[in-house]
Amino acid sequence: MTSVWAILRESWLSLRAEWLFKGVMGLNIIVIVAYASIGFDKTGVSLFYGLTHIESEFIYEGSPMSKTLYLGIYSAFIVNMWLAWAASILALISTSSIFPSFLSAGAVELVVSRPTRRSTIFFVKYSGGLLFVVLQVSVFTLGAFLAAGWRVGAWDPAIFLAIPIVTLFYSYLFCVNVLVGVITRSTLIALLATLLFWFSSFSVRTADDIMSQFTYRIGATIERTEARVAELDTEANEAEAAGDDIGAEDAEHWSVGPQKELARARKAEGQLAPWAAMVSGIRAVLPETARTLGLLHRALERNTDATLMDLMSGAAFHDDDEPPRELSEEEEAQIRHLEEEEKIPAWSIILKSLIFEAVVLIVALIIFRRRDF
Amino acid sequence: MSHVIELTDVHKTFGRKVQALRGVSMHVDQGQIFCLLGPNGAGKSTLVKILMTVIHASRLTGTMLGQPIGHKPTLRRVGYLPEHHRFPPFMTAEQALHFYGGLSHMRRPERVRRIQEMLDLVGMAAWRTHKVGTFSKGMQQRVGLAQALLHDPELLLLDEPTDGVDPVGRREIRDLLHHLRSEGRTILINSHILAELESICDQLAVVVKGRVAMEGTIDDLTTGRRRWAVQWRNADIDATDLDIRTEGDSRVATLPDASDEDAQVVIDAVRAAGGVITSVQEIRESLEDLFMRALEDAGDADGAVPGAVQGKTEKPS
Repeated sequence: MTSVWAILRESWLSLRAEWLFKGVMGLNIIVIVAYASIGFDKTGVSLFYGLTHIESEFIYEGSPMSKTLYLGIYSAFIVNMWLAWAASILALISTSSIFPSFLSAGAVELVVSRPTRRSTIFFVKYSGGLLFVVLQVSVFTLGAFLAAGWRVGAWDPAIFLAIPIVTLFYSYLFCVNVLVGVITRSTLIALLATLLFWFSSFSVRTADDIMSQFTYRIGATIERTEARVAELDTEANEAEAAGDDIGAEDAEHWSVGPQKELARARKAEGQLAPWAAMVSGIRAVLPETARTLGLLHRALERNTDATLMDLMSGAAFHDDDEPPRELSEEEEAQIRHLEEEEKIPAWSIILKSLIFEAVVLIVALIIFRRRDF
Repeated sequence: MSHVIELTDVHKTFGRKVQALRGVSMHVDQGQIFCLLGPNGAGKSTLVKILMTVIHASRLTGTMLGQPIGHKPTLRRVGYLPEHHRFPPFMTAEQALHFYGGLSHMRRPERVRRIQEMLDLVGMAAWRTHKVGTFSKGMQQRVGLAQALLHDPELLLLDEPTDGVDPVGRREIRDLLHHLRSEGRTILINSHILAELESICDQLAVVVKGRVAMEGTIDDLTTGRRRWAVQWRNADIDATDLDIRTEGDSRVATLPDASDEDAQVVIDAVRAAGGVITSVQEIRESLEDLFMRALEDAGDADGAVPGAVQGKTEKPS
């Protein structure tokens, strides 16, 4: 255990010496101060500690939607945009040098020549890299917890789920960073490779989401046009049986359009299917970065009356007496997609991503253990 | 005397072509200072790194402190100072020693005590709380020695221990090595500075192109390698088989590999010719001479050319 503590302490000292660590910590505090500047009063929302005010009949002090909005801003914007993007890029810049400088000539000999096993050194060093994110997110979530409690009375411990969730998310990227760092011993290559991996992973996910929405929309079109064609066929048959030749001709005439649309949709479905399968296949082996972050959103929305999506789409403000607004195919596809996403169990998202991470780390460990320095 | 290190037929090939070690066999006895000599790229550092598990041998049979080479727990009993070591620059000397002590499984109270002792020993106590990154090469070398000695090792492997150290520091290190030997510790030193090693070496091995070209004590290796130099004036002798040179108004005859009787023959010849003997010197072979002879004996005319053997890997015998 003494060697584990020694490596962790070295990681901490290394982080403390990094100006970027202090810089990101400072930025975290600024973001939290900005978040806490959003407040609610009897007539609406106040911004910048009361400097600006927006009147609202739905969102005001004590309204259920104020809580949804406030926690939604935290999980959907601050965590997703700041912690998952900006702070993660800064963390990557800061931690990319951990393995390359540890493995540099003159430094590594002093460490691997000890009685401590290389696998122990590797995993503790890896955990030391994640310490950056753990410390940053811990301070951040503590601030967010206090802000949410103060502003909307939501003393929700689920806010602290950001610590494991963001750390998990970051670990999917950091394992790639470590693998490239162990192979190349170059900070710059490790950083660029990780950013490239992240971008590729993001592109595959976006492509898969778009394709699944397309697939759904094409499926809906096929379903709708098939029903229309069947309806017109029935009309034509009935008219023919009744000796109504004009009616039968009309029905046949009107069914030409839907039949062409059906043929086009089926052709598009056939063309899209192999691409969709390929993209889904690639996604299947990649870690679920966005879905992992989405788990925080799920956890925070479990106790609210409306979701942030309801607020943004206006559904939350809908009067129950009014008939529901008819949704476009695109909107339906989006909602269906979100519903499907919600159905994916958290354990499968985490397990699949951890399997990816474990494979990458095992490869990196094998290289590290066998390497001559 | 038991062998602290015993190696048989150590091979190391980097990639497919660079043969750093080509069957090194040697042993180091307990309580001795063993010097590993050789030109650049001969494989000395590779051999030390293999002992410390920094490099994996391609083929190896051997033991260190009674355990097979590569046995990690044994490294708790071994101190190592690598060549061109680099400490984390953000750490103070004390923090760095805590780090390396921790990696050697030392508990905190033991570390605290030993760190103070070691920093005193290497003359760095006043720099305890200064960042290692601000230290000169010589100061870093001293901290390097402190980390190698921190866990009270029975065996010390030092790769160029006086590199970058000033003359006073070198002398201190020599004294320290004598002191450590007197405590019964075994020390293996890998160095290029032959003059420095000469006064401390009990046993040595010269590695040339990945093989041990010569091994033994300095006395053993230089026996029968004495030279005599006879200097005189006021006479010429007729001795075509002797190497005679003129220095001012004197003549000097050098007799390589000569016995005492051989020297007497020259002295008699000078006297017979009416010459006046001004000096008779017995010259022992220096470590440098021995080193150069090892290169020649290894049949390596380019022995001093740096670099390991490159070419197809030899088939193990």
